Amino acid sequence: MRRVCITLLIFALTMSADAQQPALRGKEASIKFAVIGDTGTGDRNQLSVAKQLAGWRARFPFGFVIMMGDNMYGSENPRDFVRKFEEPYRPLLAAGVKFYASLGNHDNPNQRFYKPFNMNGDRYYTFRPSLTGGVRFFALDSTYMDRAQVAWLDRELAASGSDWKICFFHHPPYSSGETHGSSEVLREQVEPLFLKHGVSVVFTGHEHFYERIKPQKGITYFIQGSSAKLRKGDLARTELTAKGYDSGYTFMIVEIAGDELRFQTISQTGQTIDAGTTRRVEVKTPQGTRPVTTPVTSNQPRARP
Amino acid sequence: MRHLRHATTAILLGMLVTDATAGQRPPPPKSSTAPVNADAATLMDFQRRLDRYIQLQRNVAKQSLRLRETSNAAEIAAAEDVLAAKLRALRKDAKPGDIFTPQVRALFRRLMYPELKGEDGPETKASIAGHDAPPPVALRVNAGYPDAAPLPTVPPNLLARLPQLPMDVEYRIVGKDLILRDVDANIIVDFIPRAIR
Repeated sequence: MRRVCITLLIFALTMSADAQQPALRGKEASIKFAVIGDTGTGDRNQLSVAKQLAGWRARFPFGFVIMMGDNMYGSENPRDFVRKFEEPYRPLLAAGVKFYASLGNHDNPNQRFYKPFNMNGDRYYTFRPSLTGGVRFFALDSTYMDRAQVAWLDRELAASGSDWKICFFHHPPYSSGETHGSSEVLREQVEPLFLKHGVSVVFTGHEHFYERIKPQKGITYFIQGSSAKLRKGDLARTELTAKGYDSGYTFMIVEIAGDELRFQTISQTGQTIDAGTTRRVEVKTPQGTRPVTTPVTSNQPRARP
Repeated sequence: MRHLRHATTAILLGMLVTDATAGQRPPPPKSSTAPVNADAATLMDFQRRLDRYIQLQRNVAKQSLRLRETSNAAEIAAAEDVLAAKLRALRKDAKPGDIFTPQVRALFRRLMYPELKGEDGPETKASIAGHDAPPPVALRVNAGYPDAAPLPTVPPNLLARLPQLPMDVEYRIVGKDLILRDVDANIIVDFIPRAIR
């Protein structure tokens, strides 16, 4: 009996340690980043996710973080910027990690002037994290998708020669959330541009859970809106759902190397919730070469929390 | 005749589109085409009134604390507050309907109608009245938009129907009312009651 107990204990410890290791390879030349969403509460849940995020950086040295909006819930006085952003992420900011924000429906658009959000004074913008690596990000303001922004997105996507075009914004075009669900009117505006210009991956928030959507028309959509807020039991797990988690707080770490994007979704207790790879491939069409993504291959999480 | 009117409206709407290239503030477009029907005249009148506000706002902003990128959030708040205070002082006599005249209100309601009553109507209305819709806001010209209230998302299909605005101002929908909000000063410039039907 004692031997069985010891064996079980060793097994449990091994599993626990294994679950808290990056599934990603951490290749030197890869683009490494983290994804957080719906963060600005300043409460202990935000702090615990932020602490995990900083801890994981020691094992997976990401250089920047993209934010899915709702960066500030409630008031936005100067103290709130400290309490809801600077304090939780102080270790990362001190280490030189850059944050790139998008605007959510709880955000005053004047956040675009807040330098640590790296928005350059613009409500929507694009950036390349590295001169090499062939990756370009497009941060959109989904709370106000007017004709000017749609035209800008069309122009910028067309002008980008990057292999990987990644968009991030607040409202999910596809979602299995009971409370919000898919933003269909937004989808009608942006999805044709994503398809036209070969966007491979889209990150969003708004829903307070994690969901990886089955590839839609070749595009992989993630919802990462539970980095400080959680709506337990809100994920309906529809035919859209490839993987979902609505019982804890999460963040993601992501690595892009060549034609592969590897992702790992981690809970506030450090457990891996989801992990997998999506590939960007070139295909020849009558219209020319166009990048598409293959369906995501999901790694089995090493342990479930 | 109906097609002609739609075409004319579309052309005028196109003329109102401002090139909102990120980081730039183009001058407000000047309307020079003679009105060819009542809707076009209404849109041109709206544009003239809006241009006057934008010109005023930009002049005030030039002589005010500049909203610029900073790591100090207090500077952003101060610039916003000073701009709002100056605009309120200069527009102390402003009243509802100064920009959204009765004719503009009627036209805007008509422009949005197909999106609210058509195939996408239920989805559009649901997104306006969604879970994160703000609490009731007492609408008053020159009042600040409540700091802690979420900013309601404007469905893109409605935005596509309305005249494009320069980046200084934006439409927002609060309940059934459409507001014109100064983005930098966070104040309500004008509003259309019961715009959503």
